[in-house]
This record gives sequence, structure tokens and C-alpha cells, in this order.
Amino acid sequence: MPLRSASLALLLATVAPAPLLHAQVAEIVTSPETELPDEAPAPEAPADEASPDVAAEETSVTSTQEAAARDVGADWPYWGGDAEATRYSPLDQITRDNVGELEEVFTYRTGDLPSPEAEGRYSPETTPLKVDDQLLLCSAMNILIAIDAATGEENWRYDPGVPDAAIPYGATCRGVTLYVDPEAEEGAPCATRVIQATLDAKLVAVDVETGAPCEGFGENGTVDLWQDIGERVPGWYAVTAPPVVVNGVLVTGAQVKDGQAEDAPSGVVRGFDAVTGELAWAWDLGAPEQNRDGPPEGEVYTRGTPNMWTTATADEDLGLVYLPMGNSSVDYYGSNRSEAENEYATALVALDGATGEVAWHFQTVRHDVWDYDLGSQVTLIDYEGTPALVLPSKQGDIYILDRATGEPLTPVGELTDLPQGEIEPDYISDTQPISEWHTLRKEDLTERDMWGFTPIDQLWCRIMFRRANYQGVYTPPSSERPWIQYPGYNGGSDWGSVAVDPERGLIIANYNDIPNYNRLIPREEADERGLTPIDEAPPEGSPEGAGDPQAGSPYAIEVNAGWRNSATGMPCTDPPFGGIRAIDLATGDTVWDRPLGTARRNGPFGIPSFLPLDIGTPNNGGSVVTASGLVFIGAATDNLFRAIDIETGETVWSTVLPAGGQANPITYEVDGRQYVMIAATGHHFMETPTGDYLIAWALPE
Amino acid sequence: MTTHDYDRSTHGSGWAVKLLGWICILLGLVIGGLGLWLIILGGSWYYGLAGIGLVATGVLLNQGSMAAVWVYLLTWLGTLGWAWWEVGAEWWAQLPRLLAPTLILIAVLLCIPALSRRRR
Repeated sequence: MPLRSASLALLLATVAPAPLLHAQVAEIVTSPETELPDEAPAPEAPADEASPDVAAEETSVTSTQEAAARDVGADWPYWGGDAEATRYSPLDQITRDNVGELEEVFTYRTGDLPSPEAEGRYSPETTPLKVDDQLLLCSAMNILIAIDAATGEENWRYDPGVPDAAIPYGATCRGVTLYVDPEAEEGAPCATRVIQATLDAKLVAVDVETGAPCEGFGENGTVDLWQDIGERVPGWYAVTAPPVVVNGVLVTGAQVKDGQAEDAPSGVVRGFDAVTGELAWAWDLGAPEQNRDGPPEGEVYTRGTPNMWTTATADEDLGLVYLPMGNSSVDYYGSNRSEAENEYATALVALDGATGEVAWHFQTVRHDVWDYDLGSQVTLIDYEGTPALVLPSKQGDIYILDRATGEPLTPVGELTDLPQGEIEPDYISDTQPISEWHTLRKEDLTERDMWGFTPIDQLWCRIMFRRANYQGVYTPPSSERPWIQYPGYNGGSDWGSVAVDPERGLIIANYNDIPNYNRLIPREEADERGLTPIDEAPPEGSPEGAGDPQAGSPYAIEVNAGWRNSATGMPCTDPPFGGIRAIDLATGDTVWDRPLGTARRNGPFGIPSFLPLDIGTPNNGGSVVTASGLVFIGAATDNLFRAIDIETGETVWSTVLPAGGQANPITYEVDGRQYVMIAATGHHFMETPTGDYLIAWALPE
Repeated sequence: MTTHDYDRSTHGSGWAVKLLGWICILLGLVIGGLGLWLIILGGSWYYGLAGIGLVATGVLLNQGSMAAVWVYLLTWLGTLGWAWWEVGAEWWAQLPRLLAPTLILIAVLLCIPALSRRRR
């Protein structure tokens, strides 16, 4: 699913024209040469590549050495900060006492703004890596860029030329992956490489110092992921998340655009040799043995299977890679899914990174008909002495699992006697797992939770509430009447994922708290409305599910994301629409919980209210936690970037961004100075203004 | 006192009272009508009752009767009690419940001078 995002924002309306806020736009340097330190780490570890027969012990030695060369701190070497994806930085120069003195050091503009055709379809969600003296990132349309981490000057860029037609739901590139070839000589081209996966489904590898394509990787630096997927339909099969490397194998899934057809591109997850780009293995859950090395001549990977659109986490110690899987195609109807799809949809799957074989899996929804894809990257932790991982879900449940076995280490309960509805009662599960340790999910909605600006729009929402089918969480889809899905498909926790402070023993989780108002549309009505899948007619940039054909199933789907009042654009349910909380890892208790996002940009009919009140807006994008006890986060639709005191939850600093801050921030250090950075690039679905800014702040020198 | 007296003594503000009266009737019909639908759907009775209060207020304002103020005050106090019972101190949730009714209360109270002249 979708990459999506988010949620509906309460309304939009732009505050402050972006360009005015930016005094220091970095000059774009086109020439590729720059002075880079040559201290690129070149571990001398034995090669462990993709070959399946590498002994586990060797693997573990290698990984330790590699990891040592790339600790988080001065660098931000992984999308999730460190290899464990904790988003925790040991830096502590910026504290709650001096954070108020932060000043903008530079603003870098990628220059990647939507063409007229792509207008309204940009959601870059960009998070750079910081390695040595460079920031490494991809723009919305996959231009790879390296900039000087202290000045914002561009060192190089490489544009793979992704066409607008490739934009699936939104133009998104969340990040890039760094890989050091353990066998290459230091300083050799592509000894250290930057790898991304693109919207037009390619893996692209370039040299970290020059941006020149790695000739030995695939075909002149490019591997075509459309290989063995089937007919090329631009925008149906796209990658928006950074691949991960587990012991020399580059692992990627892809986003299969939601809601189009049962006969959709496969959700196959593939591993490639990070040096050569050769296929190491494929995990096609529909034909795992047969297609492990690719499908037989003339065949394609099993179509319509669950995909992984979000970011995986590599565990080099155990040699596993953890895949948060999405749902099958199509999302809201399931009777015709295969047993294998039912087994792995919306599950966390641990694959052996060397072979692509399933080590274990943990399913969070049985027979998902709600588009409850796992959207968050899992975070690796030590839980009471056991190597464990934190798995957040869109329903808000937070599970802690044993990394080696997938067994839950915290209590998992079960909802029973759930309604099965009239559409496919034999398919809908009457039980579902829940976390009894911690959930971000709130109480079921009641009529009194309906909202508006006046009694009249509130009354209208109450009527909508009473007319809908709603029996709490996991209310099954219906067609004669709309049904309410709460939480909606944006979470709970989405791609921004959670941060973990291992020192304080806290999980920091931001979340959405909004329902969707849905209806299955009988095929005949869908045909009358002209709902056709992407392979028959190019899509328009409407929100995920707002009239998706689901061709091949008996129903199309209509989603009112965030359940907004059609007359005013106001949400039908009362605030907060999103929040952030700290959870005690030892007990699962909430330490603090607060709304995230002010009302300043939101109001009825899209008119900004300018109210600095913490209403709690929909939000997308994660946080960074520092050793000094600050949580940095944008994410909300108020276009603010803020620092929150991790002890109290109080906002201790904030600044206005020139565009939406729907991206994960980072923090890093150059020459002893700590920087914080976020991309202000906006988000079409969150209805925040589009931009191309990366902004860095630091304390005055 | 005659109608003639009323018209003469209030020609400056009488039209405003009548306008407010018609606004109350209109809002009352919408809220009462949709509120009736909500009652039929098994929902809150508040809107149906509030609609009746608004229509009554509007009719009485049109008649120039001070009773309009008392009826609306009762409606508003009922609204206040209901709103507190439903969501208490959740101020964002009070926005749709109390803001508009309170603005109407202020408008109705502003009619008191004109309505007093009518009574004289």
C-alpha cells in the first residue's frame, strides 16, 4: 500500500509564501568535484556477499566491523539513524536550556518541484543520510544529491530521469542507503556507494564522492525491478522507501498502487548483491520455492500478493531482515485471496538475508479488509536481555517480539466475537490480535465525538454517524450503508515509525487519531461512475481509496479519508487528530501524551485560524531523540518544526517551516557543532504546501 | 399601546429584531428538521428540542415579545447543561456546541432595549 500518508489534514491554506522565508538558499554547484575527506571507511572484513553459504559466525564478525565504522552520532548513516532504527542520537550539545538559541545555518533547495502534470502529487518525505562531511539524499523524483553538511553547498547530483508518469500515489523518496564494498580498494570508484530505489522501479547505485553511476552494478549502475513483474504500467509498481542491506544483500520491496485490481503486480521482495546488482534471491510468497531465483522463463512473480512498501530493518547479527508487509491487492475485499496471501498479509515477516527464506512471521490482522498495512519500520532493541524488536501498527498496537523467533515478549490479547458483516461473513475473521502491553488506539467513537464548527455541521456528522455501520474497531466493510473505520488507514503509526531512547527506556510514538468513512461500491455502480484501473486509464491524484475500482472483485471502494464534512472540509470527529506520547519500555505505561500540531494553519473552509493552540493535527513523519533529552519532530500539518522535552512532553522550541514538514528529521555533527535538519517538502495528502527545502539549524558559534 | 406606537418608537431597531427573529426561525427549522431525523435514527434529542426553542424564540421576536429573551435563555441554558454533560471541559469539543448558540444569545440580549420599549 500506499505510501501514503496521511491523513487528512484539517485543512489547508498556506501560510507564508515560502521563498520569503529563505535568505540563504545555497548555490547549486554543478561540477562534481569537491574536496572530500578520504576517510571513507573500508572495512577489511572478508566478503560475505550474497552467497547463501556464508557461515553465520563470519557474517556476524563482518557486520560488527562494518557497524563500528558507521555509528550514529556525528553521522546519521541509516534512514532510521542507526542500524537498529532507533532514531536516537548520542549528541547532546543542543539541550532544553539552549535550544531556544538555535539559528538557521543554511537552507538547501533541491530544485525538484512538481511540473504542471505532477502538481498536487508531491509527497517527498525526504530524510538524508549524513556520512563524513556529506548529506546524501534523494529528491521527490529520485535525483540523487550530495551536499556539504556544514554549508549546504551541493557537491554533486545524479538525475536518473524518472518520468512524471511513474508517480504512483505520490512522488516520494524517503531516503537512500549507503553501502561499503568490503572487497574494494579504498578510493576505488564505488568502494562506497549510495543506493536508492526509484518510482520507476529501478535500483540506482552511484559513487559517494562523485555521484557517478557504479558501472559494476547492474547495467551501468541500474537494476530494473520491473524484471519479471509483468506488463509495465507506469505508476502501478514503484519504490518509495530506501532499500536495506543485510550482510551484503540489498533488500527491497515495492509499493503496488492500492485499489486498482486483483490482477496487480506482485508484492515480491527481492535481495540483490549490493556490489553487482545480481539477484541473490526472491521471496514470492505465492511460489517461494519455484521463484526463489526468479520465475521460470515466460512467467512472472505471483500477482496480487501482499507487498512491502515501507522500510525494512536489517539485523546483521542474526542475518535476518524484518519486512513490515502490506495487504493483498485489493485491500477491501478478500474472499478470493490465496492461503499464502492470508498467511502473510499485514504481517511482519523475518527473512533469512542470505537465502530469502522465511524464518518466522507475526500477523497483526487476520484477513485484512481495512488497508491496515504495516507502515512503520521496526526498531531493534534489547528487551530485558533478549534481542527484540518494536513493531507498531496502524491500529496503534505496539508489539515487542523476540527477533530470533518472532514470539511476543509482551502480552498479546485477542478480540473475539467481532462482527462479520454481510458482504463476506465467511471470510471476515471474528477474532483479531491486540497488544495488551500498549496501544495508541483510543476508545471507540460515539455520537458525542462528532464535531464541526457550528451545531448544524456537527448535527450533520451525527446523522452520518447514525446512518453508518459501526461496531467499533474492525467493523467489516459494507455496501448498502457506509461503514466507519477507526483508526483509519493512516494509523496509529505510519511510515514515520517510532523512536526509542535506550538510555531512558522510552518509546516516542507520534500517531494519528482519525477515522475513515468508507463504502463498498457495487460493480455496476462503479462502472457507471467510470472507475477503471490504472492499466486502463491513467490515475488522477485523488486520495488513496477515493473511488478506487478494485477491478476483479465485486466491489469498488470509496474512502472519505479522515472523514471530513463535505460541506465545510472540517473533520467530523473532534480533536485531537493526532498526538505524540512517551511510553515506558519497562512497563508499557504512558509517561506523557499530548496533542501534536497547532491550529494555526487550520480552520473551517480552509481558512487558517492562526491560533497557536495545540489542537493536535493529523501528522506524518517520525521524530529524532537526542541524548540531551530532546525530541525533534515536524510531521503535523501546522508546518512547525519543534523540539519537545522528553521528560515532560512540553514544546521547548519551534520554528515555522516554508512548507510541510512531513519527513523524518535528523541530527548530526560537523567539526564539533551539532546540527538538526528536516526537509520541508510538503505533502499532497496532508494538504501542506509543497517545497524543496532542506533546512539545518545549530547553536550560534 | 398600539401597534402604531411600537412602530414609531422602535423604527431604528425593530427591523434588526425581526431579522434576528427570522434567522432564529430558519436555523430552528434546519436544526429541528435534521434533529428530528437524528431522533428517528436513534440519536440525541438535543437538536430537535433546540430547534423548537429557536423557532419559538424567532416567532416571539417577530411579535416583539420579551418572552423571546426568556425562551432563548432557557434554550441556551439547556444547551449549556447538555454540552457540559456530553463533553465537559473538552474545549475543542465545546466549539460547535457553545460558540454559535452563545453568539445568538448575545444578539438576543441586545434586543432587550427594543423589546422593552415595545412593552412600555
